[in-house]
Amino acid sequence: MAVITLQTFFIAGFGLAAIGFGVAVFRTSSMMRSALALLFSQTALGAMFLAMQVEFLGVLQIMMMATEMSIMAIFMVMFMMDPGGLGAMEMTHQKRLSILAGVVGTLFIAGIALFTSWGAVIATAPPAAQQTHDLGIELLGRSMLIFETAGVTILTAMIAATAIALPSLQRNPHHEP
Amino acid sequence: MSPDLLIALLTGAALLGVGIYGALSQTNLVMIMMGVELILAGALVNLVAFWRFLHPDNYAGQMFVLIVMTVMALEMAVGFGVAIARFRARGSVEMEEARELQG
Amino acid sequence: MTTLLIISALLVGAYLVAVLEAWLANGRFRLTGPLWATVALLGRESIVPRTPDRLFFETAPVLLLVAAVLAAAVLPLSPSLIIANMATGALFINAALAYVLVALLMAGWGPDGAYALIGGWRFLGQVIAYSMLVVMPITAVAMRAESLLTTDIVLSQSGVWNIVYQPLGFVLFFVASLAVAFLPPFDLPTAGGELAGGVEAEYTGSRLAVFRLGRMVLIVSLAAATTVFYLGGWLGPVLPPWAWSAVKILAVSAAMLLIGHTLPRVRETQLLAWCWKLGIPLALLNIFIVGVLVLIWL
Repeated sequence: MAVITLQTFFIAGFGLAAIGFGVAVFRTSSMMRSALALLFSQTALGAMFLAMQVEFLGVLQIMMMATEMSIMAIFMVMFMMDPGGLGAMEMTHQKRLSILAGVVGTLFIAGIALFTSWGAVIATAPPAAQQTHDLGIELLGRSMLIFETAGVTILTAMIAATAIALPSLQRNPHHEP
Repeated sequence: MSPDLLIALLTGAALLGVGIYGALSQTNLVMIMMGVELILAGALVNLVAFWRFLHPDNYAGQMFVLIVMTVMALEMAVGFGVAIARFRARGSVEMEEARELQG
Repeated sequence: MTTLLIISALLVGAYLVAVLEAWLANGRFRLTGPLWATVALLGRESIVPRTPDRLFFETAPVLLLVAAVLAAAVLPLSPSLIIANMATGALFINAALAYVLVALLMAGWGPDGAYALIGGWRFLGQVIAYSMLVVMPITAVAMRAESLLTTDIVLSQSGVWNIVYQPLGFVLFFVASLAVAFLPPFDLPTAGGELAGGVEAEYTGSRLAVFRLGRMVLIVSLAAATTVFYLGGWLGPVLPPWAWSAVKILAVSAAMLLIGHTLPRVRETQLLAWCWKLGIPLALLNIFIVGVLVLIWL
């Protein structure tokens, strides 16, 4: 028997907002709107985490995505033929296949979610301060190796991305550094 | 039983679907990356929901979320690196103009 | 009740900051100056540019104000005078400040004007420069307090204030907070005399009034953050806690305005180079020093 609490209401509301903004990303032709729609989709997810009483991850999500998606916005404006969306350019292909794939993917996962018996749902979350503390202990204890690996991976990706993005001086001798 | 877990999982499924649609239908590399971000966001919701509603005592779940967030950031960094290189070489990051990558 | 009190305190603070700024700008101290300026702004027509992105144009000033207020929501003015004492308060303030960037990008893109657009993108570059200098000093502060609760952070300074304990972090955070509030010498997105107002250029009337208010509240919030993280918050002898908070916040705001007034505007490339080549290593050094201090001395 389903119990509709205020928490459920907020989780569902922010979830719907996240999906709505996610759809808006591909329905507008203005790149700035598209990028900020993605930002607000991610922010709604962060708020949803907060509604689920997962405070640290929620705040982290809200914080990280603001900068990340803003940086995305400038790249979209740089690389798009029609960043303002005033020319009504067609920017999609294989539309029918994509919609089909999206719908099938959603239905498949939703079916798994619906027909699996997840067992008893735990109603109470640990208090927020406890969560932050325990996550810290986990990070520097059992999961330290994974955490370190993530750090090294970030470093590698930073170097790799910079190396790819730098102009090749041999190919273009007239390039001014 | 509280429907919270189910709502979160369905949200994740919907985000996955929107993301797949975006990644397949868009012709611009940056827009495709936005689709991938949405797919990862769907994964994120699922992970948080699993931790919160099924295993709130096992913090490896939250750890996993942190790793997925890292992956999202890395995907962006490397993707933009590739985009800049591609734009320098060919003057566009449109997928329709990248036929030479076809095997 | 607490919420109302804090918001009215923020408004009073913003008003006083506006008086100070006008005093610095034209050399006349007039207590009623901002009041008349506000009345004049509200009375004027609020012009909408010809082809705006209306959604962003309208949202930007409000979002700036909301972000500034949210940043102040996790900062205590006295042991009980705090809107939301979150277990992740010191992280939440970063999250709130990140939306200043979003507001300015919207304000830059929305009106469809060249100066505004340049101002908005400039602020993106500025964020990439300063954001690490906001986060890393706060990390060191949280290390000493062993908590992200802002009230615990204040209590951890009952012996020695953080400005003495980690002066390097204070300097970095202070500089970064100047950059967050785009005060001179980091006023790249508005840049009077160069961009003709930048992100503010296309705003007039009531929308400009909201934008200016948002910025003033942002300055007060950042001063409050500096007070809580480095100047011992409400701690102090004789006076009641809220009075100490008020005095310290006003002093920090005045310092923020004064310092910027005496320096030339920094160039975008210089800002990025200094922040990444000098600021981030110093911030890491600060974390290291604080870590050693916490281990050997407490």
